[in-house]
Amino acid sequence: MLKKPSATAKPLWKKAPFKSSYDAVIIGGGLHGLATAYFLARDHGMTNIAVIEKRYIGFGGAGRNTAIVRANQRTQENVPLYKEALELWPVLTRELDFNLMFYNCGNLNLAHSDAALKAMRTNVATARFHGVQSRVVDPKECKELVPALDISERPRYPIFGGMYHPPGGIVRHDAVVWGLAKGATAKGIHIHQGTEVTGIGVSNGKVVSVETDKGKIATNRVLNAAGGYSAALSWNLLGMKLPISVLTIQAMVTQPLKPLLHHVVSSGAYHCYANQTLKGEIATGSHMDPWPNYTTQTTARYIKHQAEALIEMMPCLSGIKFMRTWGGLADMTPDMAPIMDGNHPHEGYYLDCGWGYFGFKSSTVTGKYMAQYMATGQCPEILAPFALRRFQEHRLMGETAALVNYTPDN
Amino acid sequence: MALTITCPICGARNGYEFRYGGEEKGPKPDEAALRSPEAWCDYIHFNRCKAGAQEEWWFHRDGCGAWFTIHRDTVTNREIPGKEAGI
Ligand SMILES: Cc1cc2nc3c(=O)[nH]c(=O)nc-3n(C[C@H](O)[C@H](O)[C@H](O)COP(=O)(O)OP(=O)(O)OC[C@H]3O[C@@H](n4cnc5c(N)ncnc54)[C@H](O)[C@@H]3O)c2cc1C
Ligand SMILES: [Zn+2]
Repeated sequence: MLKKPSATAKPLWKKAPFKSSYDAVIIGGGLHGLATAYFLARDHGMTNIAVIEKRYIGFGGAGRNTAIVRANQRTQENVPLYKEALELWPVLTRELDFNLMFYNCGNLNLAHSDAALKAMRTNVATARFHGVQSRVVDPKECKELVPALDISERPRYPIFGGMYHPPGGIVRHDAVVWGLAKGATAKGIHIHQGTEVTGIGVSNGKVVSVETDKGKIATNRVLNAAGGYSAALSWNLLGMKLPISVLTIQAMVTQPLKPLLHHVVSSGAYHCYANQTLKGEIATGSHMDPWPNYTTQTTARYIKHQAEALIEMMPCLSGIKFMRTWGGLADMTPDMAPIMDGNHPHEGYYLDCGWGYFGFKSSTVTGKYMAQYMATGQCPEILAPFALRRFQEHRLMGETAALVNYTPDN
Repeated sequence: MALTITCPICGARNGYEFRYGGEEKGPKPDEAALRSPEAWCDYIHFNRCKAGAQEEWWFHRDGCGAWFTIHRDTVTNREIPGKEAGI
């Protein structure tokens, strides 16, 4: 017999009183905000912290992403961060006592030309240099990994080979949100949902307060972790522009099928990636809208595009129905790498944004290092290359040269 | 919310015929000014990312090839008259 949920459900976190002063205020109850709060408490003993969330935790990209994790990025600045993030999932599952459902099924990225295969060799070399497992595979091995693939000459973009990255996979994104909220509140952190940050008070070049629709908070540290809204917030609250464009990106799932896809499979040429969820649905993510907007709309254009791309890659999916489709925001930078900065332009103002459509996989480790940054005021070495001034110094990162490349321009 | 864009030459057409060309940032600073890293970065990379009405550039890629600006509400994805936009 089914038990009534009310009889058994225990809330994972407590509602906290709204205080007029905190040691740090975090804008955004997404993954980056919650992770930073958790690590401020865990590693630095800072528990007098508020996470301010305009809607509900997980409302933003945190609850909309396709949950893919991997550490085979293009540049040497990025790979170590993502590698540590991959290694954190099992650790956090134990520490938070909450099953994050890390399924390390591995990722297969397809090459559809000799040039793409060449680029993969460089990518693999970078990964191996940093101790990340990754290798180039031929079409035959692609087919062994994913038997549903059509490796014949028939498709519009025939398969020339691929890059296989065994340690990646998928993690249940809601579980990460709930697990971190549970862990953070257990350490004394306050999460205020349904509360909007409306202003940041600055005096003599230092952050002194945060305004919200529930009242003013005195604080000398604030983190902008508002995801897709971070750039607009930065401009509205501080008059500070960022090198960001905000684009809606869509994803969808098919009806559940028997297990047939045992790895995440992706293709830059088709602008398509897919994996089979533990429920059996094929989850697939598409390209971004080609112009900035905050709609989070879903459009027939991308449903058609995904259907066509999936059937080209895996013809057995022909006739399968999409069940659900949704959209979220991607805050894209020109070099497809994030911005993490602190004490700029005001002392006590911290920034963690520009995570586009790839900021789920790195959220926990970023929280760890942003917490260190905020607690000590010193930028951790691993974050230094991600400072905002790289755009003035012409030190853009080469992540646009990564294989799965979906910039607003293509 | 399908986007329709009004090209000054071809009239109102489906948004997918056009390519977005960025936020309107005023006249391009002269070469000497652009040599300062701040001005360069501001002009080339920085955006306001307004949630609401903004003036922006478009290119009629699958049409007459004209470059022009329109006003659009980035929340509703609708083209709006410039006066209404208040910018
Ligand atoms: C469709 C889609 C698929 C994706 N797929 C992947 C993937 O497979 N792998 C991957 O690694 N990444 C993926 N991403 C990207 C990833 O989801 C984001 O990079 C990540 O969620 C960013 O986390 P965040 O915590 O910074 O922001 P968010 O999770 O967006 O959280 C920001 C929060 O700030 C709140 N907020 C905004 N303004 C205010 C305010 N004024 N006051 C208070 N709160 C405010 C919002 O309500 C929101 O909850 C995908 C994204 C989308 C949309
Ligand atoms: Zn025209």
